[in-house]
Amino acid sequence: MEKMKLKLLYSDLKADIDIIEKELEVALNSSSHLINDASLHLLQAGGKRIRPVFVLISAKFGQYNIDQVKNIAVPLELIHSASLVHDDVIDDSDLRRGRHTVKAQWNNRVAMYTGDFIFARALEYVTSIENPRVHQILAKTMVEICNGEVIQIEDKFRNNQNIKDYFRRIKRKTALLIESSCELGAVVSGLDDKNVRHLKQFGYFVGMSYQIVDDILDFTATDKELGKPAGSDLLQGNITLPILLLKDHPTISKFIESAANGDVTEQQRLEMLHIVRKSDAIKQSISISNHYLRKALKEVDALPNHPMKKKLRDIALFIGKRKF
Amino acid sequence: MDATYIQESIEQLKTNIFMHVRHRTLLQYTGDPVLDENQLFYLLMPFLNGEKWNEQIQKSAITVGIVHASLSEHDKIDEKNATSKEQQLTVLSGDYYSGRYYEILAQAGNIPLIKQLSEGIAIRCEHQIKVYETNSLTLNDWYETISVVQTELIKRFYQVYGFEQYSTFMHTSLLLLQLQKELHYIQKGNKSLLQEKMIESATKEGQPFELLLQQKIDDLKDLLHEYLRSSTIKDELKLYIEQQTGF
Repeated sequence: MEKMKLKLLYSDLKADIDIIEKELEVALNSSSHLINDASLHLLQAGGKRIRPVFVLISAKFGQYNIDQVKNIAVPLELIHSASLVHDDVIDDSDLRRGRHTVKAQWNNRVAMYTGDFIFARALEYVTSIENPRVHQILAKTMVEICNGEVIQIEDKFRNNQNIKDYFRRIKRKTALLIESSCELGAVVSGLDDKNVRHLKQFGYFVGMSYQIVDDILDFTATDKELGKPAGSDLLQGNITLPILLLKDHPTISKFIESAANGDVTEQQRLEMLHIVRKSDAIKQSISISNHYLRKALKEVDALPNHPMKKKLRDIALFIGKRKF
Repeated sequence: MDATYIQESIEQLKTNIFMHVRHRTLLQYTGDPVLDENQLFYLLMPFLNGEKWNEQIQKSAITVGIVHASLSEHDKIDEKNATSKEQQLTVLSGDYYSGRYYEILAQAGNIPLIKQLSEGIAIRCEHQIKVYETNSLTLNDWYETISVVQTELIKRFYQVYGFEQYSTFMHTSLLLLQLQKELHYIQKGNKSLLQEKMIESATKEGQPFELLLQQKIDDLKDLLHEYLRSSTIKDELKLYIEQQTGF
């Protein structure tokens, strides 16, 4: 339902999104039937494709040419997909969006090679753009995302972390790739530096809001909606915003300790979810997400008049209010 | 130039690669990147043979080494259980090295090499995954797979800089060296998944695997010997290759 709503929001981009979808299939076509199966498995799992959508919309503010723009939209989605395949190995996740992950369907090594293959195809694809600036932005983003993941592992179950640590982590984990999607869409369509900056900042703020909402939903959505058990982030040691706002709660502190030792019962998980859901931490987290959304909308206001401004606002607001 | 100079050049390249991928946390948990000195030698072979070599080519050689290190990290991941902190960070060190090679080449504006290396990585992954596929392959197919894994990226580097004349040496020598390793490993009573698959293929061909492997090694040695005899590369390099491959 939520995905349908989002698709409705960018229905007038459908023809170009269909081109991207087809190109994703072409880019992942391999002489290895196992890589083909694993890639197809990934593509069929779908996803919101928000990164390509942000590339397309940002590019609309400049000299829009889908044949040029797709060369950055496709790699960004591929990089996102490849990192998910590797993340599932790191998190030992068997399910994503209600489907078996590549590592669960085959094994960790197949997931590593599939992820590496997809990363490689992403870079191969993007080399059709000769502008070094595009590559410099994308490469820096890839390295920073990785740094973010290293920090995430270092921060697992770490009790003495604060909200600043969390923001630093989600910036690299999520916001950067959305920021780069907007920035690169604008760059490839030849937009001036000032407006590239506004779109880049918009992407950053939306990305921050997106991850905060994701972290809220991990507690508030149902197992079915999430396609995995609610509270999985905390079970894996990822201390997210709602928990940071609640970390002095004795039951939550105890839960983190149990999770670190890997001995959480189903009863404890449900109790933890109950505490988080009825606490103020969710409201406070929503309020922080909204703060980022307002900043994103200010960046939109600063852009020149264009029909796509409304689209950026609508998508940003959807992201802030989505249910899963 | 003598063996010491060659070894020092390889060590210098290694140090440069380490410097470009240095990361405090990754170093702590996953150690230095894994680099194969034989592959590094072939990256440097045109330089050692007196080919025109500049800062850009040197940087490119460093990035090829980084890509090898990246893919080697992912070879360390356990098929079933990668939940330890060390394994999790090994996944990320591979990704980090991969991001770094791209970043270095992007900063240099070297798009042709990015294209060649990314194509090469994709092909290498397609070969590495073959051990998990159900297709029935011949022993020669497996030799081809080993060869691609060992040589594809160096081949791409040679293509970009017009060093293709070194491809035959590199190809024959790196395959020979890897097959010698495989034979040694199996003689010590070990068996990797790749070797199990190769044994399966040899059985279908009705011959003992070790015998076929030894024959292939001997054939490659003869071939390399012939190349060395007719080649005009520097004598010191010929000698180094002979020592490297155990002539």
